[in-house]
Amino acid sequence: MILDDDSLPDFARGCAILGAGGGAVDLALQMARYAVGEHGSVEVLGVGEIAAGDLVLPCGLVGAPSIAEERIPSGDEAASLRAAVEARWGAPVAALMPFEIGGSNGLMPVVWAARLGLPLVDADTMGRSFPSLTQLALELAGVHECTWLLTDGRENVVVVDAADCRWADRLVRGAAASLGGLCAAALGGVRGAEARPGVIEGSISRALVCGAAPDGTGVRLLDGRVADLVRRLDGTRVHGSATIQGSGADEGRWVRVELQDEYLLVLEEGGVRAAVPDIIALLAAPSGTPIPTERLRVGQRVRIVALPAPEAWRSAAGLVLAGPGAFGLAVAHAPIAAQATHVGS
Amino acid sequence: MSGAELRAGVDVGATSADAVLVDERGRLVSRAKVPVHATLRDSIAAALDALPCPGPDGGGAPARVMLATHAITDDLEHRRALTRVGVLRLGGPLTGALPPLSGWPSDLRAAVSAGERIVGGGTDHDGWTATPLDVEAVLRFLEAVAGDAGAIAVTSVFAPVAPEQELEVVALVRRELGAGVAVTPSQEVGSIGLVARENASVLNATLAGPAEHLAAALTGALAARGMAAESFFAQNDGTIMVFEHALRFPVLMIDGDTGVSIRGAAQLSGVADATVVDVGGSHTEVSVLVHGFPRQATPPTEVAGVSSDFRVPERWSLPVGGRTDAPDRAAALGWELADVDVLDDDPEQPGRPIIAVGGAAELVAQALTGGEEVIRPAYGDVAGAFGAATAAVSGHADVVCAADPQRLEAATDQVSGEAIERAIHAGADPARVEVVDVEQVPLGHLVEPAFRLRARAVGPCA
Repeated sequence: MILDDDSLPDFARGCAILGAGGGAVDLALQMARYAVGEHGSVEVLGVGEIAAGDLVLPCGLVGAPSIAEERIPSGDEAASLRAAVEARWGAPVAALMPFEIGGSNGLMPVVWAARLGLPLVDADTMGRSFPSLTQLALELAGVHECTWLLTDGRENVVVVDAADCRWADRLVRGAAASLGGLCAAALGGVRGAEARPGVIEGSISRALVCGAAPDGTGVRLLDGRVADLVRRLDGTRVHGSATIQGSGADEGRWVRVELQDEYLLVLEEGGVRAAVPDIIALLAAPSGTPIPTERLRVGQRVRIVALPAPEAWRSAAGLVLAGPGAFGLAVAHAPIAAQATHVGS
Repeated sequence: MSGAELRAGVDVGATSADAVLVDERGRLVSRAKVPVHATLRDSIAAALDALPCPGPDGGGAPARVMLATHAITDDLEHRRALTRVGVLRLGGPLTGALPPLSGWPSDLRAAVSAGERIVGGGTDHDGWTATPLDVEAVLRFLEAVAGDAGAIAVTSVFAPVAPEQELEVVALVRRELGAGVAVTPSQEVGSIGLVARENASVLNATLAGPAEHLAAALTGALAARGMAAESFFAQNDGTIMVFEHALRFPVLMIDGDTGVSIRGAAQLSGVADATVVDVGGSHTEVSVLVHGFPRQATPPTEVAGVSSDFRVPERWSLPVGGRTDAPDRAAALGWELADVDVLDDDPEQPGRPIIAVGGAAELVAQALTGGEEVIRPAYGDVAGAFGAATAAVSGHADVVCAADPQRLEAATDQVSGEAIERAIHAGADPARVEVVDVEQVPLGHLVEPAFRLRARAVGPCA
């Protein structure tokens, strides 16, 4: 499998769908297209194709999306991170990997891999987008490797050797703030041998398949129009609530979508129709373009779809880390696949 | 009636050129509609000549002429008369992952660009300077493009927060290349979002050529008639700006004819919230009127294949008009309108009526069979010219600000002041200009909570 100029638009749409509304992908898609145009397409390998002792570099951007719109990366960030990782662990980096397939972070490793001439591994550590670096599948698999390497692309490299993931998230965000609110980040020391149990396999393939499918392979929950939208700023995080009025075949139905950085819940008549960690996407109708939370607005025609979360997040431990409760929402998770039989058709 | 109180509005479309004369209270005095001529100048002249002027001895000649035209947009789409631009980005060592103009259609880029370069500079989001401006590199770039570039567009990382480096480059360009080379600093045309703002700046710089043509066509037509009227041009938010302002910010004229046409529909019908369907000779434009102004499209918007962040009216262009070759034009228009989703009942404005204007407005009521309320105002066939003649002048300003109440208050004052200043520069009466809107948009997880404030000031022309 390769990522090239032909497949990147589908891949980007898939990343946006798996991103569950967490950030726009247009700029990152432009960067990826530019990178493969200049440096050639990017090969995608299975996890099993990486030698046990070789290093895999899960990478992406950490920080504020609105800063990322302004402070475009240099494109050479991964070269600094690779050098730092290889020096410290004494093994070659054989491939890059997105640590977060959702949103623009699914595409940034393509930019970097093209420039370095390295392949990507068909996997990530979230299977979607999450706001926190504690929400990693590696953590669920008992891989408590928590060394992050950060660079701002201006020759500063910060190594964060954290006691655990919670500390890592806190320290990485602190360092990102000092680096100008945005930095490239890589998880250090992930070797081919241990990558397998700790990552979510097939994420890049899944994004390609989702991106090519009209409904993103999700279960259609409702077609309608945004009737009301409330956003408030709680600390640095936006909390919002959108009311969607059903139209066409869904005339007379009303649902509420709760959102923070991502779409988290779909509620109808007091019941949960879909909940995080399942992936909720709002697609603009009739174009099918995924709508990031910050671009949602009253009057838009939308189709709400939901995709099942990767298996790891459906376990008891996965739900503690990334279920509704982790976002301060006091509802029980209702897995989307179980509903598929009686929702829409 | 004294001529000093009269204004003329001229709207040159694809098939006809319309002109109206209105009095000081915005009432229609006379109107004319003529077929377009081969040149813009001749079309303007023919429309003005056909316009009956009251009063003897030219006493009814207008003191002000407002022009709305699609010419700027057409020139861009057909790559005509474009000024060649040296594109300078202050962002090194960052931003190389997406160099200037990398997303542009290759033929437009070839027509526009006299060279592109990223040099050291820019700041962080808090205004801190990590990389000082590389003045040597700027000078080398200016030397390289001198002779080819008729304009320079300069875009610095976080210029809306820290404008200084761009202004330093403006001074360098003046010193090195002289006043004959215009400079567009990105802070004057765009908001946060480097690539979109840079694209808007380059479009603004390259449209200097078409803007000069437009200005020459209007002044030529007026001079030939011995008219000493002050000239204004339509902006895409449904307002107008003075000649000098339009030459400096031609990008604001893109879709200006649509903007004033929507505004004219509001004025003529007395309805402030509606869907406007403007049926011309070759095509139909659908747009939305909110509180008397055009609803803006959500950025990023696309013009001539270039993605940018400047405000344009949200509109749907349908390939059916009053002169379309179809057995049943109303039915053809009905089919096209059925695909435009603003005509559905909009929860934001339930029961919003439809205003039908343009030369073939009568087709709308025939095309819509769902019992929609269709308003067809008198003189709707010259809505664009009327909208231009009665338009106010506006100014906009943006600022990014931390979300603590004190700084928000100070920033609101600052951005309001800037919007007023820009409206006055665009020709508004300083005594009567006022801020009509300050929008607060929370910016998703920045390091500290922050808002983008956007102010709009509007006033009658001075």
